[in-house]
Amino acid sequence: MEKFPQISLSARILGLVVGLILTAIGAGFGFAQGASVQIVILSAIATLALFVWGWRYVLGQFLDGDTATSEGSSPLRQAWVQFRWPLLGLALILLAFLVLSLTVKGFFNIWNVISLLILLAILVLTRTLGRQFQQNRSAFIGIMVLAGLFSVGSMNIEGFASGNNIKSMLLFASFLGIASVGQTLVALLGGLDLSIPFIIGGANVGLLYLIGLGVPPWLATIIVLAIGAVLGVINGFLSYRLQGQALIVTLGTGFAISGGVQIVTSIGSEYSGNVFGTVPGWLSNLSAMNGSTFGLPFPPVIAIWGLIALILIVGLRITVYGRFLYALGVNRTSASRVMISEMRYWVLMYALSGFFAAMTGSLLLGWSGGGFIGVGDQYLFLTLAAVVVGGTSLLGGAGGYGFTVIGVLVLQVLSSFLVGIGLDFKWQQFIFGLLILPMVALYARSPHIRTQI
Amino acid sequence: MSAATSHAPVQAEAQGGRSNPFLLMPITLFFALLAFAVLRAPNLMTSSGIGAAIIVATPLILATYALMASAMSGRGTVDLSVGPLIGFINVTLIQLHAAGMLENPIAVFIYAMVVGAIYQLIFALIVIYVRVQPIIVSLSGYLALTGINLVILPRPGGVAPPFMAEWGYGTSIFSPILAILLLASVAWLLFTATAFYTHLRLMGSDERAAYTSGVPITIVRIGAHLISGCFAGLAAICFTALISSGDPSQGTTYTLIAVTALVLGGASLAGGRGGVFGSALGALNLYLITYVLSTFNFGSVQSFVTNLAYGTILVVSLLLTLLIPVIQRFIRNFSPLLYFVALSVVVLGIILHATFDYAALGQVGALIPGPLDMQAALTGPLEIATISPETDALRIAAAPLVLSALLLVVIAIFLRMAITQSSRRTLAPAVAVVIAALVLAGAYVMSEGARAPATEAID
Repeated sequence: MEKFPQISLSARILGLVVGLILTAIGAGFGFAQGASVQIVILSAIATLALFVWGWRYVLGQFLDGDTATSEGSSPLRQAWVQFRWPLLGLALILLAFLVLSLTVKGFFNIWNVISLLILLAILVLTRTLGRQFQQNRSAFIGIMVLAGLFSVGSMNIEGFASGNNIKSMLLFASFLGIASVGQTLVALLGGLDLSIPFIIGGANVGLLYLIGLGVPPWLATIIVLAIGAVLGVINGFLSYRLQGQALIVTLGTGFAISGGVQIVTSIGSEYSGNVFGTVPGWLSNLSAMNGSTFGLPFPPVIAIWGLIALILIVGLRITVYGRFLYALGVNRTSASRVMISEMRYWVLMYALSGFFAAMTGSLLLGWSGGGFIGVGDQYLFLTLAAVVVGGTSLLGGAGGYGFTVIGVLVLQVLSSFLVGIGLDFKWQQFIFGLLILPMVALYARSPHIRTQI
Repeated sequence: MSAATSHAPVQAEAQGGRSNPFLLMPITLFFALLAFAVLRAPNLMTSSGIGAAIIVATPLILATYALMASAMSGRGTVDLSVGPLIGFINVTLIQLHAAGMLENPIAVFIYAMVVGAIYQLIFALIVIYVRVQPIIVSLSGYLALTGINLVILPRPGGVAPPFMAEWGYGTSIFSPILAILLLASVAWLLFTATAFYTHLRLMGSDERAAYTSGVPITIVRIGAHLISGCFAGLAAICFTALISSGDPSQGTTYTLIAVTALVLGGASLAGGRGGVFGSALGALNLYLITYVLSTFNFGSVQSFVTNLAYGTILVVSLLLTLLIPVIQRFIRNFSPLLYFVALSVVVLGIILHATFDYAALGQVGALIPGPLDMQAALTGPLEIATISPETDALRIAAAPLVLSALLLVVIAIFLRMAITQSSRRTLAPAVAVVIAALVLAGAYVMSEGARAPATEAID
């Protein structure tokens, strides 16, 4: 990013022209479909900005890598040696497709062929283009996978690319995204926070309990968020000295939090563990499917997530706090030599993690309308998966929230896709498990031990 | 300690892996909980109480062993997938049995251990050759196995093989489950005497040092995972015997508890430190926490209190491990075994106090304080008293207890001797083992002899 090679003027002008044409096409389609003016203008600006940024970025990566050709044995042999594994993989995929189309009736139709072509294109692109990216290779691969999944899904599944489905995907993605904020920040320091799901559940139940007690909802929300942050601070202090065991310390505090919240809420109640109450209208509007943001038809939680993501991405990249965070993650000793307080950042990141977990819990209350302590259980490993799939290293120092956003979207689109082709939860989980490994293996391989000596 | 192992073998023998101060916490916690549990509910110390405890705790202990073996290999290998793996072996076992295969006990054992070992072999190969962080591999395995378990057996059901049917009753101490547990523990203890184990510890604490000093790290890592897989298979068998049916989701819960138990037992998640003694204590501690809490009646919030206590004890005991360097400054050579024996004597007293029937003693007559007769006080202890039938009966009743206390001391001494001598290539360990066996046999004969007159006296 720092070492952007300048691209030539003609290339820049070409990029601008192509971007403008694309924007015009998009705007034309928008008006043709009768969308409201604000949306068309917003999406046009977004398209243009994205395209110009992508043009500059992708082209910039190519300029410094000039390929050197070497003379040797016959080119065919050379190609075989160089691309042995990709070619074998290609053959395997083709074989699998052949077998599937021979065995499953109706498998061989136009959509599946196109899906196969897209899949192959993604694989080839990640193998060839991905090499060019020195940094951020995971983001590139993630975006490719996302694009591929989305296009395959919208071709094969009816209503996959409909506004409603996209809205619901974004809605669930924003819950997961807000929950993963803390996990990302903590992972940047080389820690883990397993107390997130328990804080989510605790906040979910606790908020409804407070509202049931007669506390004004806005005050109750603030209290819950503050308690979440305080719990995060406690987590941070407890795990600071035990950094190698952060996983287990946060798990312990998580158990304690979930038990404690349930004890508190079930004192004086005859329904043990079940809390009843009415969720205020603004809270349900915040995260319900039919909510609206300043008149626009999407739930505000998506906008909130977008805002958080923007602040975090920019903040991590530009502000001194963000840079210090990376410095600490890469090398503690050298960071403390330049007077960066390790403890302050460690505790702060855990506090943020608790805060955002409590926020997820409150938002989930608005979505479901009823308190349930187990509401966060699935986030225990999903936040971890989102961070890992996005490409943030669990060892600290590499990655960022932008990567996690991609990871969250990939997981969400994948799960929506799997639901769409008729697989239920257990198969989804199975495929999730099998896919995480190769996705991570594409970019997060650690070097061999003999290179570390 | 790891540095000492790698470059100074002489010093390593003195400190070895035996003087492990990290066992201080689990031992203390264990005896505190045990004493408390016995005071709260004395019937824990009956045959059926101990039997039930063994049945319930063994799957957890073995799952912790499985975690320990792979966690020792370093690189932060916390095998999150151990729970789903147990569940996987459980449900496939039930389904294969329902399909008419796997009738033979030996076949069941081989099947469970081989499946566990194959899974762990794949795990190790991925870690070695794909070079992804182990925790990601285990996360991947966790999700995949959780999903496939539900596919294989959508809801709890099925029957365990008939030979397991009465294992899960827990009415007596000496069940096959106990045999499995003891065999697994002894197998690990034997394994610690090999060079392979030294390599494993070295690799766990510093992989680069191990590689540069010529340890075949690939083979060592695969070996650690294979051992872990075998333990997971045994855990799955005990789990199947415990619930005597198939359950796709129950096994998954073992992941978090087993990680907790492992850490509570003083092992390091970073690798290089761990053992069956600590792991078993950690798992037993968790069982005892649940047991103690179940003696209180919290009504509807019971499970919440259990969660709270789990979490708090886990965090507090982890924080207390921070004190260990301070303690080590004062006690250089901490001997876990000695500490264990010392505390066990104290707790034995508490157990006797809790289980002893004081009401029956009241009829014999209490000590009446009176003016002190100097003559009698001096000569009294030397005279041979005429034994009243009550005292005699009491003695006979007390004999097994005294014997077992003696036995404990003797076993402790010989274990200590055998362990300290084990690294020298002499006959001493063999002699110690033979003598220990003789003592055991003698104690058995004596207890048989003591029991026979007792039955006569009752007749």
